[in-house]
Amino acid sequence: MSRFAVFLAALTFTAAAYAQTITFGASVQLTGPVANTGRYYKDAYEFAIDKINAAGGVKVGSSQQKIALRLLDNQSDVNLSVRQYTQLLSQDKVNFLLGPFASNFVLADSSIAEKAEVPMVQGGGASDEIYARGYKYTFGTLPAASDYFGSTIDAMAKLNPAPKTVALLYADDSFDVSVAKGTRELLKKAGMQAVIDERYSTNASDFSVLLSRIKSQNADAVLVAGHETEVLNFVRQAKSLGVNPKLYSFTVGVPSADFRRALGKDANGACGMTAWLPSPSLADQWFGDAEKFATAYKAKYGYDPDYHAAAGVAAVEALVNAIEAAGSLDHGKVRDALAKSSFESLYGRIAFNEKGQISLPQIMIQIQNDKVVPIYAGKGFENKLEYPLKPWGQR
Amino acid sequence: MQLLAQVAASGVLLGGLYALMALGLALVWGVLNIVNLSHGALIMIGAYTTYYLFTIAHIDPFLALPITAIVLFVIGYIIERGVLNYVIRGPMFNTLLITFGIEVILTYLAQFWFSADFRTINPGYAGANFPLGGIVIPTVQVVVFAIAIGLTIAMWLFLLHSRIGRGIRASAQNLVAARLYGVDPKRIYALTFGIGSALAGVTGGLYGTVSQINPYIGGPLTAKSFAIAIIGGLDNPLGVIVGGLVLGLVESLTALYFGSTYRDVASFGVLLLVLILRPSGLLGRTT
Repeated sequence: MSRFAVFLAALTFTAAAYAQTITFGASVQLTGPVANTGRYYKDAYEFAIDKINAAGGVKVGSSQQKIALRLLDNQSDVNLSVRQYTQLLSQDKVNFLLGPFASNFVLADSSIAEKAEVPMVQGGGASDEIYARGYKYTFGTLPAASDYFGSTIDAMAKLNPAPKTVALLYADDSFDVSVAKGTRELLKKAGMQAVIDERYSTNASDFSVLLSRIKSQNADAVLVAGHETEVLNFVRQAKSLGVNPKLYSFTVGVPSADFRRALGKDANGACGMTAWLPSPSLADQWFGDAEKFATAYKAKYGYDPDYHAAAGVAAVEALVNAIEAAGSLDHGKVRDALAKSSFESLYGRIAFNEKGQISLPQIMIQIQNDKVVPIYAGKGFENKLEYPLKPWGQR
Repeated sequence: MQLLAQVAASGVLLGGLYALMALGLALVWGVLNIVNLSHGALIMIGAYTTYYLFTIAHIDPFLALPITAIVLFVIGYIIERGVLNYVIRGPMFNTLLITFGIEVILTYLAQFWFSADFRTINPGYAGANFPLGGIVIPTVQVVVFAIAIGLTIAMWLFLLHSRIGRGIRASAQNLVAARLYGVDPKRIYALTFGIGSALAGVTGGLYGTVSQINPYIGGPLTAKSFAIAIIGGLDNPLGVIVGGLVLGLVESLTALYFGSTYRDVASFGVLLLVLILRPSGLLGRTT
């Protein structure tokens, strides 16, 4: 009888131990063509969850529970990521979902979460298409794609002499098409003319034709919405073809350290945008502030975090905050708590609009002397913009 | 008019790189009847080899090309002798499968060793250019073009006039007769595959100076090389020059007059036309 009691106690204890863990599930690009950016999310999720667990975990009602992360590699394949999210829900039975990188992945994967009515918080997709479907269970920590060039165009209008003709180039995936749609409107409002407005195929490696057209049209400014590989090729070919716009800005690459390293000195002068900079003024419950977070992250992983990593951490914190506010692991209650989120974090103020997307201003940045310098965030010029850019031969 | 001239010049220069890209694939395909699906991965390995020779040993990328060629020759020789030789006489499907497997292995080994970070081979002169009658010519691309054409012609002469070259052509035409003349097929096959890999390696080194390197560049490059080899024709090594130039010009002019999203439509459209109208390629024999 006593042996049976011990056995029963052990069983209950084990079951109770299992009940003490909340599992977050995610399918991220760890290999494949976008693994370069996917790794920011793996590292960010792990870093945030380890930190939160070290501080005691999540308060669910009256108990403290730890978070476990179930991370799968979707090999940069959208179809595989859909199957993996299905597996995470049906087989692994995770409690909540964290998102992948890239809008086209989020578009597909969020449908799985919506159908299963499990909240997914993602920091990888900004496309307006994600939020145009009336989904209730998808929340995103990246601000709207259509507004990515907002602060840049604002700043451009204030320059003297302001650029009048603009070349707008964009890749043919969800995020970049969204950016272009919004940018067109912003350019019209600012009174600038888009002399070139052209879509190109993702993974294009030859931009010589587009660059030659930019040169022959004498475009003052060039705005490119694309992927890091394309932007890399664009910059190198602009230099070798002697194309010298007064300003050029890219939606990706500029905030990321390895992009700058790949281009070396040729990266100087390039403009971009980021919704996040590691500023000590962004206080955080677990990491102290954004600057401390960036230092600790670099010490652990060997590279500087950019806004992808910060958005990933923000996603984890948003979920934890919502679970604590709801006081339970019930999907509906946590979903409602997410919708009402409002707290400060190393990423800034976390609050979602009625569609589920965060609203943060993009900060226009420029690479100057191999460093990322914040230029304009909506109010005034924080630092001097290098404009007009010197022709390549004179740098 | 100037825009057209600039775009045409870019198309021709692009064609040179395309020609070199396809040369290794066409050689292996024409002689060994192996469609090497790992061709792009070998280009990628060549690119990384040149990259590390440049960044760690500080050897100028163009001077590092011969070293890259030797390294890739050895890798190719080992792959053929150690793996492909066993399936070379079997159904073609087996070689497709095995070379695909090699591509996957090489790609993921590269991801594992080098990470997915982008690399560029960026010597100080990488962005240099010179004016020519109103248009701008990138210096590095001209050198790439010259090396590509030079290597292709050298390969053609090698196959035509050298003893080993004649042995390679003999094995392709009639293996039994070639063996009667003392040609050792195992050695010839491995040699040919090694040369094809060396050419891929050189392409990789050059590719890294004009574009960027990551473990996944192989797949699209194999597809493109495939198209160029077919368009040019497999019978004549000079065919890849024709194939490369045609494709480079067609892509650039399509991008200029129809829009950049139609580039791939145009290049594979040309492939379709060639297959329908002149299946053995533009320089192939029509027997």
